Amino acid sequence: MSLLLVAAAPWLLTTGYWRGILVLCAMNVLLALSLNLVMGYTGQLNLGQSAFFGIGAYVSTILIKSHGWNFWLAALAAILASGFVGLALAAFATRLKGHYLAIASLGFAVITYQVLINWESVTQGVRGIYGILPPVPNTVALFYLVAGIAAAVYLLLDNLVRSPVGDTLRAIREDEISAASLGVNAAIWKAFAFGLGAAIAGLAGVFYPGFVGTLVPDAFGIIESFTMMAMVIVGGMGTMIGPVIGAVVLTFLPELLRGFGELRLMIYGLALTLVVLFMPGGIVQAWMSVRHKTRP
Amino acid sequence: MTDLLTLVVQQSVNGVYLGCLYVMVALGLTLIYGVLNQINFAHADFVTVGAFAAFFTATRFATKALGIPDTGAYLLSLFSALGAGALLGWLVSAAVFAPLRRSGADELRPLIATIGVSVLLENGQLALFGPIPYQFDSPLARETIRLGPIFFSGQSALVVAVSAAAIAALYAFMRFTFLGKALRAVAQDRETAGLMGINENLVIALTIVIASALAGVAGALLGPVVVLTPFTGASLIVKAFAIVIIGGFGNMEGTIIAGLLVGIIEAFTVQYLGSGLIDLVVFAMLLAMLVVRPTGLIAERKEENV
Repeated sequence: MSLLLVAAAPWLLTTGYWRGILVLCAMNVLLALSLNLVMGYTGQLNLGQSAFFGIGAYVSTILIKSHGWNFWLAALAAILASGFVGLALAAFATRLKGHYLAIASLGFAVITYQVLINWESVTQGVRGIYGILPPVPNTVALFYLVAGIAAAVYLLLDNLVRSPVGDTLRAIREDEISAASLGVNAAIWKAFAFGLGAAIAGLAGVFYPGFVGTLVPDAFGIIESFTMMAMVIVGGMGTMIGPVIGAVVLTFLPELLRGFGELRLMIYGLALTLVVLFMPGGIVQAWMSVRHKTRP
Repeated sequence: MTDLLTLVVQQSVNGVYLGCLYVMVALGLTLIYGVLNQINFAHADFVTVGAFAAFFTATRFATKALGIPDTGAYLLSLFSALGAGALLGWLVSAAVFAPLRRSGADELRPLIATIGVSVLLENGQLALFGPIPYQFDSPLARETIRLGPIFFSGQSALVVAVSAAAIAALYAFMRFTFLGKALRAVAQDRETAGLMGINENLVIALTIVIASALAGVAGALLGPVVVLTPFTGASLIVKAFAIVIIGGFGNMEGTIIAGLLVGIIEAFTVQYLGSGLIDLVVFAMLLAMLVVRPTGLIAERKEENV
């Protein structure tokens, strides 16, 4: 049912603008899924996901534009690059917990952003890289491509969290010391989740430059990390479908609020605060409890 | 040689002045963290609100309506910024932190809720004041004080003086008043403090109000030296966090030292490496600090978190 809806989406929203939003939505689903693995299932407060998104975008674009690589080869390299950077950060960051990890990852995102701005010989700094072509000829095809990949990643992660690996990750989230006492090597599994999350964010980044056509560091500022986190929280952290719903809602909400002009982002901020205050488990949990109440 | 010495002293003076501004912002964060174990992500937006409150007090209200001359008007505006910050702090405490505390929220939800508050405040101010930068003239910024070969503006002297006074007042409050002692007790152990008859909700609200008032004053001090837009404070928040971490979460002395240190390092980075690299240097320092000494400059004996 929902698959049909996704498949029909480009024919329900036929203007170029709304089809663009659909692509963005599919990308956001990927990003929310990636962050949910790290934050929702392993309990690591990661505010640096925008950095991996940016690394994926820049590595693939530079390989294609400056070194003439094939798109898919460059995509693979970009995924590996962001995954490895994620693992490298995790190597020391998994020792940190809670707010310390949050700030360390935030610091990492700021550093990545600054490197993108200052390393002009490679990234062209704030001037940006222009004229980037998408891997497929039109927006609808790009939507099907990214949505297809997002669906594949969803299935992959869904299987992963149902497997014993998922149990291990949840055990670490609930109580790291108890998990360790049962023979779980928490550091390795946390690094695994962090690295896999980073690689998926990098994968989302691969499609971003071709979609927008230009690449500037500002697209990967820390506010991007917050947006991803908001999607995960609003949808329902630690569930598989929650972040997907969060990504869809928070991609379309600002667009639907466009009629409010300047008040748009104000309402967005207010909505975020209210959801956290009144729907602690996100939309998914709120929906479940409503269904629970209406059924005797 | 003397030229080099002059340069070093001059940059240190610039750094201390910058550092004092950072300390004013970071102290509030660390206070809230110390008592509540939570992060207020909208804290730096309180700085912006303070700056706008001061701007309108100084340029519209005091000079036009009351006919107070320049300098007096600016000094008066510091108090309006303090009031604006305190009021906002109370609002956020009552509307966001208190309900979340009652529902037994983890560390994540207050963080996200205050990110929402931050977006709300920034865009609310954008709707009210527009995106065009305001020119906030402090009469003191035009004065230049000369001490031998060292120059600094009257504004930077005021920044250092006000910060020092605020820190001294805060210390006196924490040491010598009953409420200050109650605050420290709650910071050490909230439950036990509650059992001793301390109204912890009042103390927590008071902490947030004090922290926010500091942020408001920081805004009034910062307004005249930066480009004043609704996003002025937002650029500070991440750096303020870095300072809080470098100093050790919840540790006041550490935060003061770290703030001054970051200010000085920033001044020398501008001198020797260029202003584009400031954030890189500061955050590389943060990451190095987290690797080498995650408990901050001054380690507290606390087993959790690290």
